[in-house]
Amino acid sequence: MAINSTRSKDPAPAMGDEEYAKFCEFFYRKTGIHFQEGKKYYVDRRIAERIQKTGAESFRDYFTMVRFQASGEELQFLVNSMTVNETYFFREDYQFDALVRGILPAVTRTKTRGEAVRIWSIPCSSGEEPYSIAINILERWDQADAWNIEISASDIDSKILHAARTGLFGERSLSRVSAQLRSKYFTPRLNGDFQICDELRESIDFSLVNVIDPLHTHRFRNIDVIFCRNLLIYFDDVGRRDVIGMFFEALRPGGYICLGHSESMSRMSSLFLPKKFGETIVYQKPLSAE
Amino acid sequence: MALVKASGQIQQPQATPESRDLASLLADLTAAEPSVRRAAARGLAAYPEAAMAACDRLEVEGSPSVQAVLFTTLIHLQSPAVAGRLAALLRSDDAPLRNAAIEALQEMPDALAPHFRDLLNDDDSDVRIFAVNILGALRHAKAPEWLGGVVRDDPHVNVCAAAVDALAEMGGPEALEDLDALRHRFQGNVFMEFAIDAAMRRIRGE
Repeated sequence: MAINSTRSKDPAPAMGDEEYAKFCEFFYRKTGIHFQEGKKYYVDRRIAERIQKTGAESFRDYFTMVRFQASGEELQFLVNSMTVNETYFFREDYQFDALVRGILPAVTRTKTRGEAVRIWSIPCSSGEEPYSIAINILERWDQADAWNIEISASDIDSKILHAARTGLFGERSLSRVSAQLRSKYFTPRLNGDFQICDELRESIDFSLVNVIDPLHTHRFRNIDVIFCRNLLIYFDDVGRRDVIGMFFEALRPGGYICLGHSESMSRMSSLFLPKKFGETIVYQKPLSAE
Repeated sequence: MALVKASGQIQQPQATPESRDLASLLADLTAAEPSVRRAAARGLAAYPEAAMAACDRLEVEGSPSVQAVLFTTLIHLQSPAVAGRLAALLRSDDAPLRNAAIEALQEMPDALAPHFRDLLNDDDSDVRIFAVNILGALRHAKAPEWLGGVVRDDPHVNVCAAAVDALAEMGGPEALEDLDALRHRFQGNVFMEFAIDAAMRRIRGE
């Protein structure tokens, strides 16, 4: 999940400054995503689109509907429109190197055979990250067959989760996937896309998760590795603290968090230990954590 | 295939501690299990009236992970009263707790503002240094002005040095005169000369 900054031609603004502030406060409360003043154009444009699609007569009518609609359906449409999901296979692959060379061997040293190894990719966007994790494990971790490995993948965007489950990818997304891996894990489709094999699609548990909603996150426990890359940059400081607190509960003692290359745990929490694996630093919940 | 689907293996959604009533959350704040205390502390964020109880617990809580959640909850419940209780932790001998208090106070600029006069006039120079450290990262319009006051009036060299560092980060041209005058108060102090020069260069954009 990421917030798009692309500009294009646009109709008149949907919101005044005061309305923008109110909307941002509401959206932050619901999602933890923090829009700064510089994002007004981006937000305004998407709200104008939703106003048009829903037939609302004004921002005020639309905002009332979003806030009070019992089903929450329009809020979900709005969330989907505010997030974009630009990613590709094997992005920041030094972390996948760290996973198979360092993290998984370390995790399994503290486990007994029969216990599952649990990995959570959040936000998973259109699936490139969890599928990259799966392929790296199957191709590059010599202990893969000795363990039951569960990969969960979550995102706040319901539309992109559907795409992830479908597993169709274009050339741009697959640019870093070798011909050998393409032929092994993907099936070419007539339109030029490639679909990832059923075995991988069916082995990953995709779910809709809002990271600041305890009802969504409460079920994730005893996770060994969390990939949470380039999400927390969209949160303010207190939102980050909330999410990191949730990850602390989700991880088993000794578990690891992999953040994006521009993110650091040091300003969010002192509860995790930085660990260097190869070219990357990841963060470990101490084995002694209570 | 080594991969197995996670669904059914991971716990299913259930009622969360955040949805519980205040009385049971307060009771759980003293539970033996840190995870229970963390859940209770997290749940208190929905109850502004529980802020002082969270402050009380923070003063005796021994688990860093529970302390972390209490601090986050108190940021959510921030008020001048909460900021006052956290400011008192600046005197703690427990360095991690003190640092966590500093970080939390930096998240509540308006709630902390009424306390700055007292903090910057505290008899303990260490408390004044911590107050300056907080100011250096505080998103408050008056922060540079308060730092200017420290540079003009504080008698302790280390407090002034901390203020110079902070002004180097957030000061504007209005701080230059105070910084230049500070040289005369600590004449011959090589480090202070260096810090002032560096701050002034930075403010001027040189």
